Amino acid sequence: MTGTGRTLVLVVAAVSALAAGYWFHPGHTGRAPDSGNLGGIMAASLPDMEGKPQAMAQWRGKVLVVNFWATWCKPCLEEIPEFVRMQQKFGPQGLQFVGIAIDTPAKVREFAAKYRMNYPVLIGEMEAIELARTAGNALGGLPFTVILDRQGRLIRTELGGLNERKLTPIIQPSLKAVNGA
Amino acid sequence: MNLRAAVRLSLELLLAAAAAWALSGSAADDLLAPEQAFRFSAKLIEPGLIEVRYRIADGYYMYRDKFRFTASPQSAGLGEARFPPGKITDDEFFGRVETYRGELVIRLPVKSSGPITLKAVSQGCADVGVCYIPVTQTARLVRPQLSGSSAKSESDGADQLLRRNAPASQ
Repeated sequence: MTGTGRTLVLVVAAVSALAAGYWFHPGHTGRAPDSGNLGGIMAASLPDMEGKPQAMAQWRGKVLVVNFWATWCKPCLEEIPEFVRMQQKFGPQGLQFVGIAIDTPAKVREFAAKYRMNYPVLIGEMEAIELARTAGNALGGLPFTVILDRQGRLIRTELGGLNERKLTPIIQPSLKAVNGA
Repeated sequence: MNLRAAVRLSLELLLAAAAAWALSGSAADDLLAPEQAFRFSAKLIEPGLIEVRYRIADGYYMYRDKFRFTASPQSAGLGEARFPPGKITDDEFFGRVETYRGELVIRLPVKSSGPITLKAVSQGCADVGVCYIPVTQTARLVRPQLSGSSAKSESDGADQLLRRNAPASQ
């Protein structure tokens, strides 16, 4: 093989590797932003802790952190105090947490009161599991978090625990983009 | 360094970076599917006694208080599950909890001698900080294991009398 040939092979390999990296990278779900699946989250409506239906669309225009959790899931409970603190801190800039609990209303109410949750919590079983699945949570693991910008476009999905240190750089660019970019 | 060598070097670096990027991410990205993390099987080991076995993958654990067993037909008369002692911890959220790792064998008395379908609901987590929603797995139990049985062999060979259905998520 000539030097040029080898270079060509390397170019192809590098481009393929980059493409593979792009598609398989954890932060990337392999879907175009605002795809039907994410439309699924923004189009969803689930009951709140009082049983009143709440449409996700009411939070359009905010940077949304949709957190799937359950009171029986220890890593879920560990991250909630961080979310409460971040809601307090970034709420005025347009950050909105929404919890979706795969649980029973009584348990969710008890936990929400005890931990002074300052953001809405919706409750669902099969419907919530399905919603998480369509957003890219194939294994049914919790916690699972979907972060959307002010236009409802996907910024990132995260399986496993988040904290302020990890979440802040993810949300900050979108918080600054007040009019959307 | 000539231009070609420089191009090649940068391409090689790019290749390495792309590979590293593709492989990066949190440990949660390598999670097993729940039916692989908690491998379920069940068989009638003698008339009136079902043995349920979970082979729990390394780095995963199951909660004792989350197991639920039901049999159909209901007239099969499933008794109370007998668990081995697990690891007891005092959890900051849940209080006293009992968990299992490795291999877990649960025994279930049953009245019926006819074929039954056992439905097992379980819930567990991975040490990397992910919990699975409860999983329902079922097994068709035909008759107690006898030597020289003509029953079809399962893929793992050991549980000849078990016809295990594909685990279904709840």
